[in-house]
Order: sequence, then structure tokens, then C-alpha cells
Amino acid sequence: MLKFIAKRLLSGAITIWFIATATFFAMHAVPGDPLTQEKAMSPAVRAQLEARYGLDKPLIEQYQLFLGNMLQGDFGISFTQENRKVNDIISKHFPISAILGLAAVLIALVGGVAAGTVAAYYRNRWPDRLVMIGVIAAISVPGFVIAGLAQLIIVAMNNAAGKTLLPVAGWGSVNHIWVPALVLGLGTMAYLSRIMRASMLEVLNADFNTAAKAKGVHGLRLFWHHQLRNAVLPVVTELGPTIAGVTTGGFVVELIFAIPGLGRYFVQAVQQLDYTVIMGTTVFYGAFLVLVVVLVDISYGLIDPRIRLHGGGGR
Amino acid sequence: MKLLELDNLQVSIGPVQAVRDVSLSLAPGECRALVGESGCGKSVTAMSLLNLMPPTAQTNAARWDFAGRDMRQLSEREWRRIRGNEIAMIFQNPMTALDPTQTIGSQIAEPLRIHKGLSKREARMRAIALLERLAIANPAQRAAQYPFEFSGGMLQRAMIAMAVVCEPQLLIADEPTTALDVTVQAEVLSILRELRESSGTAMLFITHDLGVVAEIADSVSVMYAGQTVETGSLQDVFSREAHPYTQALKRAVPNMENPHRLEAIAGTPPDLRHPPKGCGFAARCCERMAICDQLPPNFPCESTAAHQARCWLWHPEHPARWRESEQ
Ligand SMILES: Nc1ncnc2c1ncn2[C@@H]1O[C@H](COP(=O)(O)OP(=O)(O)OP(=O)(O)O)[C@@H](O)[C@H]1O
Ligand code: SF4
Ligand SMILES: [Mg+2]
Repeated sequence: MLKFIAKRLLSGAITIWFIATATFFAMHAVPGDPLTQEKAMSPAVRAQLEARYGLDKPLIEQYQLFLGNMLQGDFGISFTQENRKVNDIISKHFPISAILGLAAVLIALVGGVAAGTVAAYYRNRWPDRLVMIGVIAAISVPGFVIAGLAQLIIVAMNNAAGKTLLPVAGWGSVNHIWVPALVLGLGTMAYLSRIMRASMLEVLNADFNTAAKAKGVHGLRLFWHHQLRNAVLPVVTELGPTIAGVTTGGFVVELIFAIPGLGRYFVQAVQQLDYTVIMGTTVFYGAFLVLVVVLVDISYGLIDPRIRLHGGGGR
Repeated sequence: MKLLELDNLQVSIGPVQAVRDVSLSLAPGECRALVGESGCGKSVTAMSLLNLMPPTAQTNAARWDFAGRDMRQLSEREWRRIRGNEIAMIFQNPMTALDPTQTIGSQIAEPLRIHKGLSKREARMRAIALLERLAIANPAQRAAQYPFEFSGGMLQRAMIAMAVVCEPQLLIADEPTTALDVTVQAEVLSILRELRESSGTAMLFITHDLGVVAEIADSVSVMYAGQTVETGSLQDVFSREAHPYTQALKRAVPNMENPHRLEAIAGTPPDLRHPPKGCGFAARCCERMAICDQLPPNFPCESTAAHQARCWLWHPEHPARWRESEQ
């Protein structure tokens, strides 16, 4: 198991290096630089700024410098936000994105597993049809439309109640989390419920399910001990990529719901070619995702003894 | 006193009349073999005896008594107390019938936890003791392992343990050796025989291997196209076979006297969505008569007759076939 984790972490480090390098050169290939955004700027000031940020050096040297700093965990200072360190931006705003993303993934996981199970239990009857219609809707309607609709519904609800049941946007309390997290997790929930439905159907038809019933196992015990544990395996496998999807999708939701998460800063940084912020957030997200995927792999091993005991020979 | 009496069981799954008339009985401690070719309804019969057919299946019986109860009247709640406790089942393929995510020990202990209310510890100890009795080395370590760490033969022993752990009155074994290789088959068979002798559990042993029947059964029911067509003691059915299907089945088995002659039964069984009006075997029977296509051979037999065949040749008024074979 330890060897398996070490291997995954090493391949993760290589992935991060690759992402960093690709982003670095792609970013520099885009015409213009962070300083062209500023309006009239005297050549002297510009030269001074270039020197300060190291933009006057050859690209390769900049790359080496960047890699060296990155290894020490330092991503430099933002170009566009006066004297803010990139590390500070990340540590201040990422937790917000993380809470939102985590809530979204949890909602998607619980909702997807529940909906998929119900659909499988009532295969081809109305609860199944209802779930499948919901799945198609959630997958085909774009996130920003759903976000807008959700806000309209909140407004209508608040008006009907005559008081503020849920805030329409913003951040700061638990009630600020539910709706954006649900909107953010909806597509994933739909996707997971489809996987869950298929795998639960397989479990319901499996010999071991019949054999368990033949032993007298029934109800919740049958569900928890035999059905859920087996059916949830394919869902857990999907969880790694899913978390990736949710964090990237978070950008739009953060903008619409005015949530001061990292995604908003990333979008802004890309628009303004804020080199250091782009590099910092990209590498940080990459590392985060690698970590998540490794964690998911480990949790998969905890559920499925075949992987746990084989030291993770891969599936 | 019979343990199980089943008369005219009928099960249809949608348009398929998978079981059309199965009648059989079991005395306490008796081992009855249920034989017949693939698709004749053996597994459907077995699953029905546990009331585990899918809800789309419709089940009917003229009589269905088990241990003095009318099983047709039971609620699902009462059934749950019977499954795994009074009637247990061994499945054909131990590779797929055990839950891959649970340890062997906990799966064997599970019926004890449900039916006997034992604590986790007690149930575990009992499971380990049972594994030991079934000749599994290092039972304590083995109990903590998962199905994928077991070989096929050991898995089938684990499955047997799972079935007998509550000491059921009736054990249904649905082709318990078919999925195993030959050497392991003999081993599992001898375990079942031993269990039967030591515990006095009645057994319904489903198989299509006549060789296995001779080794384990006291009595035999032969099934064809959803019906029991011949019923009798092992000797009755094996040496005085009465139904043309049983006779054909026996000719299809290579034996010592004619090891090379193997007559496959010509033709195929009828489509169970539209079963024939008369005798189900008529299309393949070499002794078929005019009446066979007209009317099903369902005539009242003397209830004392232990050896019965569903065939017009054995009608009381048919010219003397019965007497012929009985001298
Ligand atoms: N769940 C089901 N849905 C529809 N048809 C079924 C179902 N289970 C069994 N059948 C049909 O019922 C008939 C009897 O099947 P069954 O499994 O009892 O045969 P069997 O005697 O056990 O055969 P085998 O020796 O191959 O196990 C078959 O025609 C089968 O197709
Ligand atoms: S009833 Fe007729 S067709 Fe059927 S087995 Fe007997 S002789 Fe053959
Ligand atoms: Mg079968």
C-alpha cells in the first residue's frame, strides 16, 4: 500500500511539472504581457517594472527561475493586485472554493447514489423515469442557466415568504453554501446517478444478492452490507475526475453567486495575463487534484478488498 | 409425517410457464434428487421453494406444506424467518454467490446473527468451528479472508457452511458441484453426504448428472418441460424406470456395459410459452400414442403408489405395462 501511494505521488509530481511547463510556455506565447494592460506608461517605468518582475530576462532563464521558486513553494507577487503575494491570494481564497467544491461533491455523491438506487429499485417504473428525465435535464442544461434559474427561484421564494429564507448571492454563512453547491454539483449528481443506477441494477441481479436473500438477509442490512458496498465501487472510481470537474466548473458558479473563491481570481488573472497568479493557481490546482485522485484510490482500496490486499495492482 | 409436500406447483414468468406441475414430497432426513435437462425448471422450482422468484413471477400450488404449515399463507415477514433458518440453499456457482466485499467469516456468521440473535463474537466463533468441521485448515485466518482469496472448492465449502450454519430442516442444493472441477466435485459431494448423515437434514439435490444422483439420493424426481414426470425411490427410477423420458435419459448416459454407445435424445424440449396440449414429451417420445397428443397424462394415481410416472402407458387401464415390469 505504501509503495502504491509513493508511486502515485511520484507520477503526480511529474504530472504537475508537465502542467506547469505547458502552462508557462503557453502563457508566454499569448501576445502581450501583464504590463501592456496598464494605460500610458513611460518607457522608464516599464523598464523598471520589467526588471522588478524579471521580464527582461530570456524566457528560458525566467522558466528556470520560476521552477526554482516553485520548488520552494513561492509563486511570486501578483502583477495586477498591488503587492499581493500569490501565495496569500491562494491561501485566502482557495478555502472558500474548497468548501464550495466539497459541499458540491458531497451533495452530488449522496444525491447521485440515492437517485441511482431509487431508479434501479423501481426500474422502468415512474420513479426511474423521473430520475432519468432529471439526469438528462441536468446534463444538457448549461450550468449558468441553472444558476440563474436557481437565483430566480430563491427570489420568488423569499418574496412569497416575505422574508429572506436564503440569500441570493454572497458568502459568509452556511445558508450561502447550499444553492451554489447544489448548482455546482448538479451535473455531477446526474452523471453519478446514471452510473449508480447501472451498477445497482447489476447488483440486484447478482447471484450474491439472491444468495444473501436466501440466507434471510433483508431490508437495510441487505442494502448496507451487500448492495451498497458493491454498487458504489464504480461511483467511487469516478469521484477523482468528478472532483476535477467540480473545481473547474466552480469558476462560473463563483462569478454568478458572487462568491470570493479562487476561481474568480483565476479567471480575472487569465484575462489580464497576470503571469504569477496564473502559474500559481494552475500549479496549485494541479497538485490538489493529484492529491484528490490518490486519496480516492486509497478509499477505493478500503471499500474493495481485492485492491486493498493486492497492494493496488490497478484495475 | 412428511416435511415437505408440494402438489401441482405452477410458476409462470410473464408468458413463460417455467413450472407447469411439479409435485414432490420429502420426509425428514430424506435426500431427493431433482433431475432433468437444462431449462426444464429446476432452478425456478428451487427459488420458488424459498419464495424468492422475482415479483413478475406468478406462483400457484394445490398444496404446499412445510413442517406442518401451509406455505401459501405465509407473509413476507414469516418467509424471512424461514430463509436461511429452516430452509437454506446452496447455489451452483460459489464464485458469484458470495459477496466479494465481505469476509467469508462474516458471511457464514450472518444467518446466526439474523436468526439466532448471536453476538458478533459468538457468531464468528461458530463460523470458524464450522469451517474447521468442513476440513478447512487455519479456519480462524481463513474466516478473515475474502472470497477472491479462496479456491473454487473452498468457496463451495464456505457456501455450504453458510447454508447449514443454522441447521435448517431442508437444504436445497442447486447443482452444487457443476461449476467445480472433477476432483473437487467428489470432495464437495462427500462433505454433503457426511453432513446429511450427521445432521439429519432433508435435502433437495438438483442436478443433471445421473452419476451424482446414485451417490447421494434416496429418492428421485425426474423433471421434463416444467413437470415432474417420474417420481420414485432411487431403485425405482434407476432400475425400473417407467417414463419414456427417464429411459431415454438413461440411454444417454455412458455406462460400464456400453461405454461407447451414447444416444442423445433426438429433438428439443417444447417452447414453454406455448406448451403442448397433450403430453409434454410427445414430440420426442418413441412410444407415443394417439391419445398422447390429445390429452395430458394427468390421471389420478393411487396415493399409496410411491413410484409414479406421468405417462399414458401407465394408466390403470392401459394394457398391462405396469404388471409387465413388476414381475
Ligand atoms: N427470471 C426469469 N425470467 C424469465 N424467464 C425465466 C427466469 N428464470 C427462469 N426462466 C425460464 O424458465 C425456464 C426454466 O429455467 P430454470 O432456470 O429453472 O431451468 P433449470 O432446469 O434450472 O436449467 P439449468 O439446468 O440450465 O440450470 C427457462 O425456460 C428459463 O428461460
Ligand atoms: S404419454 Fe405418450 S408421449 Fe408422453 S411419454 Fe407417455 S407414451 Fe410418450
Ligand atoms: Mg438451474
